[in-house]
Amino acid sequence: MSAVAGSTPATAPALLEVRGLSKRFGGLVAVSDLDFEVLPGEILGLIGPNGAGKTTTFSMIAGSLGASSGAIRLAGEPILGLPPHQIAARGIMRTFQHNMPFPSMSVAENVLVGMHCGFRGGLWRVMLGGRAAQSAEAAGRSRAGELVDFVGLREFRHAGVASLSFGQGRLLETARALAGEPKLMLFDEPAAGLTLAECARLADIIRGIAARGISVLLIEHDMHFLLRLVQRVVVLNFGRKIADGLPHEIQDNAAVREAYLGAPGALAAGT
Amino acid sequence: MSGDASVLRASGSGEQAGRGVWAGLALWLLAAMLLSGVAFFLSSYYNDVYRKLLLWVALALSYNFLFGISGQIAFSHFAFYGIGAYSVVILLFQANLPLPLAIVLGVLLCVVLALVVAIPSTRLEGFYLGLATLAFAQLFLVVLNEGGSVTGGAGGLANYRLPPVFGMHLTGPWYTVVIVVVTLATFAILLRLDRSWFGRACRAIQDNEVAAAAMGVNVARTKIIVFTVTSALAGIAGMVYAFVDNTVNPPIFGLENAFLILFMVIVGGSGRHAGAIIGAVLLYLLPFVLSPLIGHHHALVFGVVMLGVILFQPKGLIGIYDSLRGRRRAAAGKAPG
Repeated sequence: MSAVAGSTPATAPALLEVRGLSKRFGGLVAVSDLDFEVLPGEILGLIGPNGAGKTTTFSMIAGSLGASSGAIRLAGEPILGLPPHQIAARGIMRTFQHNMPFPSMSVAENVLVGMHCGFRGGLWRVMLGGRAAQSAEAAGRSRAGELVDFVGLREFRHAGVASLSFGQGRLLETARALAGEPKLMLFDEPAAGLTLAECARLADIIRGIAARGISVLLIEHDMHFLLRLVQRVVVLNFGRKIADGLPHEIQDNAAVREAYLGAPGALAAGT
Repeated sequence: MSGDASVLRASGSGEQAGRGVWAGLALWLLAAMLLSGVAFFLSSYYNDVYRKLLLWVALALSYNFLFGISGQIAFSHFAFYGIGAYSVVILLFQANLPLPLAIVLGVLLCVVLALVVAIPSTRLEGFYLGLATLAFAQLFLVVLNEGGSVTGGAGGLANYRLPPVFGMHLTGPWYTVVIVVVTLATFAILLRLDRSWFGRACRAIQDNEVAAAAMGVNVARTKIIVFTVTSALAGIAGMVYAFVDNTVNPPIFGLENAFLILFMVIVGGSGRHAGAIIGAVLLYLLPFVLSPLIGHHHALVFGVVMLGVILFQPKGLIGIYDSLRGRRRAAAGKAPG
């Protein structure tokens, strides 16, 4: 394994640990013996050519796909094999590559769904209409409004999601995931389909999220977007990790150039 | 970075909610008084019509939560109405239990049966859930017909009267008051569920199960709870119905009613409480208005209304109100809500 030396401070305890993770589909090995970790407050990029196993890895962390072997731990707790809603409850929230808003709801209500696990107090309380349930609801609504403002959709708060552009839909996905007060945010190709201006806006928001101590793991094709945003990069090829290091180290890594880009010099376009 | 980062932390501001609780309670009381008051001005025939109308509204409201809000295509709703009606009568007059115990056990029976149907059914979706619940409704009718002396067979059970409640004989308009309270309580419970994290989870599941699960919603559990709660509410409405006609028999709980509730919700506007109320009132009263004019041809009008709504107003009659309001707002120069 040609991990770039010195890229991972050994002292900081990892928030997310992926250890020996493998996934086989019949005879095809999609992910093979993968090890990496996400540190608290870190923005980590997971890259690799098509079929490298990025999406498979992402799905296993998010709980939508089981693994053949290995372990995934969040703050030391094993989470591999938990269903998606329990992964979310433990503090991993995600966005979808193809926006998946709830079309019957307003923008603010979409964000309120993201707070699902934050609402405590059982159904009986809700049915009896107690004061506690109502004030929790009011607090949730005001916070949802703040999150909508935070991603810059203030004027769409009460609008239906159909009135959003694709890029605005991606911002809504971000606000909705953030509403779950995650420890770790997963972004599935966040720049896909966005304009340059929208990419810059989203990059600002992701930096803001990390600045609050929330770790960010993103898988991305867009080098230009990724290398300027992330603090560290893990590179996959044919399901194996071929590099793990700082963005500039990755750009200079011959194995990465050869495996991921094919032609030398192509990464330079991203700097 | 434009927004200040404090929004990433939870903030609390719900002090105004307390006042809302009292204002809400006053509104419910006012509605109860108005709807109850009507009963004292109606003849006994129209009291009967009014009572059944209220029960259809209660059924449509709970079915709307199951079908319109949570997206579960189930045909067992009216069967639970029948289970509630039969169980309270059997527990009271065959098992000779006191009224409060009969009510509690009747609700419990609905809850248990709903769980029995719902837990395996969460693996089913759409069409298949519809089939499973249709089979359940059919099975219920078979049990009624073949139940011997317990269910009274094809003739059902009759010649019973509501035992005194706290020493009072609730008859005439006073029993209608009971129905008003049950209907409003059903509405209040559903409205509170809808306007909470639970209602949003239900709508999220209907919109997109994968995204809902990613937000932390336990999809299977939520579906089971919705099915159980709405079925129990239908059962409670059925218990009240048992003392409207003071007879329960299989034809009353025929399968066609399962579809009538579905039509009520669709005509009024699926997923909307006001829509369910409008649909129930319209479809229940339609035959009363049309029968004297065109006799049995009212069924034809019913069919035409159904087709018309589905073709031209898929959001139901409440959709017409929405678009009118939207147009008025646009005319006033405000952004459409």
